Amino acid sequence: MIRFILADLNRFKAGALAVIVLIALSVALSVTVTLQERAVRLGSARAAEKFDLLVGAAGSETQLALSAVFLQPSPLPLMSGAILAKLSEDPRVEFAAPVGFGDSADGHPVVGTTTRLIAALSPTLAEGTGFMHLGDAVIGSEVARRIGAEIKPMHGAADEGGHTHTEIVYRVTGRMAPTGTAWDRAILVPIRAVWQLHGMTAHEHHDHAGEVAETVAANEHGHDHDHDHDHAPHIDAGAGVDEHFDAETPGIPAVLVKPKTIADAYRLRQEYRGETTLAVFPAEVLTRLYATLGDARSLLLAIAIGTQIIVIAAVLLVTVMHVGARRRQIGALRAFGAPRRAVVAIVWGELFLLFLLGFALGVCIGYAAAQFISATLTATTAIRMPVEFAWQDLSLALWFVVLAVLVSTVPALSTLRLSPAQALRS
Amino acid sequence: MLALDISGLEMRFPGIDTPVLSIPRLHVPAGAQLAITGASGSGKSTLVNAVTGLETTTAGSVSWGGTDIARLSAGKRDAFRAAHIGLVMQDFHLFPGLSAFENVVLPVRLARRLTQIDRERALGLLETTGIARASQAIETLSRGEMQRVAVARALLSNPGVIVADEPTASLDRRTGDEVAELIVRLARQDGATLVVVTHDPVFRERLDRHITLEGGRIVEHSAEAWAA
Repeated sequence: MIRFILADLNRFKAGALAVIVLIALSVALSVTVTLQERAVRLGSARAAEKFDLLVGAAGSETQLALSAVFLQPSPLPLMSGAILAKLSEDPRVEFAAPVGFGDSADGHPVVGTTTRLIAALSPTLAEGTGFMHLGDAVIGSEVARRIGAEIKPMHGAADEGGHTHTEIVYRVTGRMAPTGTAWDRAILVPIRAVWQLHGMTAHEHHDHAGEVAETVAANEHGHDHDHDHDHAPHIDAGAGVDEHFDAETPGIPAVLVKPKTIADAYRLRQEYRGETTLAVFPAEVLTRLYATLGDARSLLLAIAIGTQIIVIAAVLLVTVMHVGARRRQIGALRAFGAPRRAVVAIVWGELFLLFLLGFALGVCIGYAAAQFISATLTATTAIRMPVEFAWQDLSLALWFVVLAVLVSTVPALSTLRLSPAQALRS
Repeated sequence: MLALDISGLEMRFPGIDTPVLSIPRLHVPAGAQLAITGASGSGKSTLVNAVTGLETTTAGSVSWGGTDIARLSAGKRDAFRAAHIGLVMQDFHLFPGLSAFENVVLPVRLARRLTQIDRERALGLLETTGIARASQAIETLSRGEMQRVAVARALLSNPGVIVADEPTASLDRRTGDEVAELIVRLARQDGATLVVVTHDPVFRERLDRHITLEGGRIVEHSAEAWAA
């Protein structure tokens, strides 16, 4: 029987192949949508794991979370540095680290922070040491620089028309272990270097507090900025790193807070939600985004399933026509003594086999496509996006198989109505 | 071997007033050989379809060795045909992509497990019918060889009846004669009742009795064919 089915399919190679490809592509669409949505969700959730609580100036929660967790360049308002000082001394806080972004080097974000944050991201460095001097830099695992290499920071990003800071050249002293987060693409430098670079030293920080988004959007605030450089002609790269913050600390876009307990986390979040500050759990922002992502997935999946229905209808049409064209063959099989159940089984088996092959091919194509998309996304964001199947996918697969079984029955049963003599005459 | 008894057989098709076939009586003794001749449209194929159970009869009985196949359900008729009637058709109806051997055993294989006896008989039949290589792909055989494979297939289940519908019509003279000789010889060897539709007078002469159809009725029969 199998031998006959294969010989028969071999005769209609082109048609069978077309049917398989048609089914495969429609299946691949659903597989890709499902896997990719999961990959983005898992990847971003893991990327946000190390960021318990973020405190920033009042504004958009989503923007704050996306900028700090995924290092997305966006104009964030600056929060008073006094808050950082206050958080650093809070007994409920294990550590509070400033996150100052806005500069870049070769497309990598340059982030001003402290050694505590580096320790939190990468407890042990992959190589080298953390920063001791203002001009030291620790790079993420995805940054293609060697220890000792020089990094010239650029204000904003090159494609935004930023300009190079000439006041300082950072020297790479260490490299973090891979974290699977956007920070793998980052260049971490002492926050004070960033402040000085932007002319925001403690004593003049009040003058610059209004210059909020300046650290980020170079093209908008470039002119003010150039002006600042006149005040800060050179930065002493050899100066020691001072990670003590007080009320005179300059403004910063975000502070990462590691609370001691969960209860502390909720209390802190409550406390710092006010007129001037904003506190968010990146996880809750992500959950909201996932809801949107989930909606998008549902929509895409609905489209994909719609495509599948159209494809199945097309396949059904092709098969019914095919059975019509094969009446003689079916009639002959019956005439020579093949029982009806054998004929039904052959027609059913052929179509079911095509469905299964198409399904298997579709899963492979969908998986490959999701891998490719994830790899592309990882290359640009450094966020590792795991493409993996989950148990709930099994139910989707089962549904497909049940559907394939049922759909294959239609043309198979249509052969029952054929009288062998009529079939032979046609 | 099975004897054929037809009585009051009528075949009508929807939309046609007169029956396309009407045979009040026909008897073919077990092991006899009957040729059916007639112009096209005379009802030969309809008669073949009726006696092989490929088509449902409108009225009357078609009985093989006492089993009235006109009364059997479609499924039972198929089973009866598979067990007792070997069919050879003008168009061979072999299945490309399979070897000669696979074609011979295909109907049996689709109906049940192929036994060792079936295999041996199939190989023996292919040898008898002059197919040198049983594993040869069917589409590479000549037309004459194809019909020989079809004959081997018809004989595999050792049927009591062999029905051949214009088995030589699509072959050239010499090949046709060879196939005709083969069918007659093997039917005689196995003691099977043979019914052949043919317009070939030489073939007809090989068989011990014949009838001629016209307009669905028997208009002529040899002395041995007992019909009325």
